[in-house]
Amino acid sequence: MSITIDLAIYGSLAKLAGGKHLTKMDLELESGSRIEDLFARFNICPEDTSFIFINAVLCDVPGLNASKKEVLHDGDHVGIFSHGYMWPYQYRDGMPMSNSLKQAMREHGALHHTYTNK
Amino acid sequence: MTRKLLRINMSDLSATYEDMPEKWAKWAGRGLTSAITLDEIEPTCHPLGPNNKLIIAPGWVSGTPAAPSSGRTSFGGKSPLTGTIKEANAGGLSSQKIAKLGIGAIILEGTPKDGKWYTLHITKDGVQFDDASDLMGKGMYEVDDLCWQKYPNEPAVIGIGQVGERKLSNAGISVNDPENKPGRYAGRGGMGAVMGARGVKAIVIDDAGGPGVEIADMDLFKQGRKKLTAAIMQHDLTKKDGGLNSYGTNVLMNIINEAGGLPTRNFSAGQFEGAALISGEMVAEMVEKRQSGMTGHGCHPGCIIQCSNIYPNEEGEDFVSCVEYETSWALGANCGINDLDYVAKMTWECNDIGLDTIEAGNTVAVAMDGGLLEFGDKVGALALFDEIRKGTPMGRILGQGVEATAKAFGVSRVPTVKGQSMPAYEPRAIKGIGVTYATSTMGADHTAGYTIAPEIAGVGGKVDPLSKEGKADLSLTFQAATAFIDSTGYCLFIAFPILDIAEGWAGMAESVAGVMGMEITGDDVIPMGKEILKMERIFNERAGFTAADDRLPEFMRFEKLPPHNVVWDTSDEDLDLVYAWVNGTDE
Ligand code: SF4
Repeated sequence: MSITIDLAIYGSLAKLAGGKHLTKMDLELESGSRIEDLFARFNICPEDTSFIFINAVLCDVPGLNASKKEVLHDGDHVGIFSHGYMWPYQYRDGMPMSNSLKQAMREHGALHHTYTNK
Repeated sequence: MTRKLLRINMSDLSATYEDMPEKWAKWAGRGLTSAITLDEIEPTCHPLGPNNKLIIAPGWVSGTPAAPSSGRTSFGGKSPLTGTIKEANAGGLSSQKIAKLGIGAIILEGTPKDGKWYTLHITKDGVQFDDASDLMGKGMYEVDDLCWQKYPNEPAVIGIGQVGERKLSNAGISVNDPENKPGRYAGRGGMGAVMGARGVKAIVIDDAGGPGVEIADMDLFKQGRKKLTAAIMQHDLTKKDGGLNSYGTNVLMNIINEAGGLPTRNFSAGQFEGAALISGEMVAEMVEKRQSGMTGHGCHPGCIIQCSNIYPNEEGEDFVSCVEYETSWALGANCGINDLDYVAKMTWECNDIGLDTIEAGNTVAVAMDGGLLEFGDKVGALALFDEIRKGTPMGRILGQGVEATAKAFGVSRVPTVKGQSMPAYEPRAIKGIGVTYATSTMGADHTAGYTIAPEIAGVGGKVDPLSKEGKADLSLTFQAATAFIDSTGYCLFIAFPILDIAEGWAGMAESVAGVMGMEITGDDVIPMGKEILKMERIFNERAGFTAADDRLPEFMRFEKLPPHNVVWDTSDEDLDLVYAWVNGTDE
């Protein structure tokens, strides 16, 4: 069984999937695939990603890497941003977030712009 | 040498240099424009009448040697768009030159008795009142050119386009950039109309031979500057080739769209299928493909972040600066337009005729909603700017901004607070920004509450970001920090490095303390910001505004926003907590 997702990669990582500054594609994956399988497919180092969305739900923020285990479904849209993107805190305050990201934020303290000094 | 107040009275064409009164001595930038506005402007005056004034002030550190990204000028007074107090600020050449002339603020008041228009030429020798007939009816690209031909030393040119001449409520004030192009706008709130009402088409500032900025404690200033510069250059978003330097503020387009918070087709949806085509990533691709234009452009000398760009046209020529996020969203996604070339053409029009791009894009979107054009009609949208340029009856309606246009076209989906339309963040999806839109002293404004490290600002650990509790405190903290940064002369984008790097935060405060000789540290930022907010809030109360004005538009309470299908559900009581402290009702 396979599923098809709609994938967008933004920033420098777009090059790994054939684009320049952004890449968009429909992608066939094995059923049960996770975000980490996408990383493996395009040789993306998780630390080089920042914000990740699945169907407009925020699943990751820079430095937390909370989304690796998210399971993808047929018809999902996934957006992956490279490191170095800005999203000021108050412009995301109150957005829908995945449960695993909420959990990670509770552990790390949520009120940061980024979670890394990289 | 202490800073002087330059009072220019257009009624008798006089200019006087006054000592900075003690009560205003500690302020600069927004703090100073708001203090003067509160003390000198009748809150109930007509914004275009003889009793309003235009206050222009550089920030605390503007004009000092190599303070990074510190060339912002504040423009204040009573807004014709909102009827509230207003501070709008811009980059460009003016801030450093005003400061280097030893001027802390310019107060422009009165109205010429002869009904003529003037160009003010300000130099170390004083103010010359020149006949502006040669500039009248002209757009800002030509005005900037003509001023550099006529006046020596590549001066700063603060000016208004045709929209400001007509005193329409969406008139911005242009400041020229290092290439002598317009595009650095104190856009919001119609302050260009306030300048027009004073009979002033342009203010030309030449700092040659000026005294420069006095620095009270050079060692402290240098220490602060060093820390701040290091933080900016170290941070991922602000360093060379970082997010802002590579894609400008338009780095946000795809993020906000992915999040479902990108206002689309007059705030009827939260995602735009064409967002990627008008994003910062696409601007970078165009610059590479057409081999002209640039990213990583600085809007004033000395900016080390350089988030601006020059967009190239189809012919491969440098065309317009700057296609930034709010502009590209307002004239693009919010009008259903997915063509960057057309967004750039409309940006050029706004720069030339003197419109705020946010209000202009929202106005076109509301007119589309009212049936004037189909959403996505880029050719039709571009042609509307010609109506505004010519001052046709249609153009005059559109030049008044969103609320007037909504009335003219019978539209009830009107995305404004206190008469000013919302920027590019949907408050139904991004609840936090909605609190700031509703309660800001300026009307719906995205920069009113900029990001600041809550742990540094003293609220860290007290707020659970996943609940609604504490949102009022957080919004107030953001708004206060912003009011402070708006007073420094630093660009608001230093907020990122000073947020994440504590040394940067301290460095900002120390550089201000070094210039002014004040004893302030990072701990004083929020209390001083609150002092500014209090002055602004009191002005608004005296102008007749109450808590009932601190509300988001009604349609957001019942129209569900896709894709999350959410409405605005923050209670009025929660909103009222933000400013309860001003009148002591928070006890
Ligand atoms: S960071 Fe951008 S907006 Fe700020 S001063 Fe520099 S170029 Fe201007």
